[in-house]
Amino acid sequence: MDKIIYAVTGNNCSQEELNSLVKGISGISGSSLYALSFKNISITVSDFSSSKFVVDKEMAIDFARIIEQLSQKLTLLPVRFGTFLKSDEDILKLLTDHYDSFYNNLIKVWDKDEFGLKVIWDYAKGSEKIKEESEKEVVKSDTYFSKNTVHTNYLLEKIKKHKLEDALLRHVEKLIEEISGFLAEINPECKFKKMVSNSLILDGVFLIEKDKKDEFIQAIGALKQQHNDLHLLLTGPWPPYSFVEIDQSF
Amino acid sequence: MSENKILLNSVPIEEFKESIESIENAAASRINATPENADHGLAQLVLTLIELIRKLVEKQAIRRVEGGSLSDEEIERLGETLMKLETKMEELKQIFNLSDEDLNINLGPLGSLM
Repeated sequence: MDKIIYAVTGNNCSQEELNSLVKGISGISGSSLYALSFKNISITVSDFSSSKFVVDKEMAIDFARIIEQLSQKLTLLPVRFGTFLKSDEDILKLLTDHYDSFYNNLIKVWDKDEFGLKVIWDYAKGSEKIKEESEKEVVKSDTYFSKNTVHTNYLLEKIKKHKLEDALLRHVEKLIEEISGFLAEINPECKFKKMVSNSLILDGVFLIEKDKKDEFIQAIGALKQQHNDLHLLLTGPWPPYSFVEIDQSF
Repeated sequence: MSENKILLNSVPIEEFKESIESIENAAASRINATPENADHGLAQLVLTLIELIRKLVEKQAIRRVEGGSLSDEEIERLGETLMKLETKMEELKQIFNLSDEDLNINLGPLGSLM
């Protein structure tokens, strides 16, 4: 029987308390979770046959549900879906070999939750003004070319496209600065993906202290008030999926 | 996503759907080669790399045009080459039944390739 790994957790209780905490949660295969500890950190696992492992949506959701349940009780580092080891000994070796890295990450996310913010706009409306301004920069063909041919026209269109892409990125970077201003007092760690698609212009994640949740929601609400042109989707609290940085792969 | 995870939502339902679809497309846009579709998976991988290089070349070429360091003749040849490359790429995408989204591989935490 293999062991499927769910999370690395920080122990702020005894091994017995920890085991009784996780025992009530049933794992993917239906068998109970249990914890293996080294010093003050643990790995939560359950028995599972990897030959029965199927990568499908239901199983992934089930896996996320278990991590979610654990995160309500413990500070944790979520482990990638589908991580197996052969035995308890292998798991203890993993825990001891990577202790420093796990511990430092746990300190970073201690008593914190992740929140997600998606910023969506109507691309046609939102980009109209930016497009006008970026095309002003291009001016006209004779800025770059002395001849007007099918090939120079093609290049001019490409220049316009690239200028627009640059201008959109600058616009999103300004928005990130503004968000950072709104959240200055909360001082979260944050990561952003810019221009994920034409409509999803910003996909951000924030690591926030648990007791600052309400303050954070208010700040995002205030940001929304200033931007009728933007649609916001704020979600959370999530386990810190985006903020775990283990320096070695296992 | 359970409703109690949504803390603030001002997204109209149509745009929300479009956004979720784009995320699902990104998740689906991994190279998925199996013994049954190995040739298609390989074509997708090769064309993805070619498209990435083509876009890098295009970006560099545009920088040079904007920098004003090219002669008229060089600009003409550059425009023609880039145009032909793009046309050829469109033909190849049609032959292998691939869309632009298929050539934009999701690199997980690193984001999309292009």
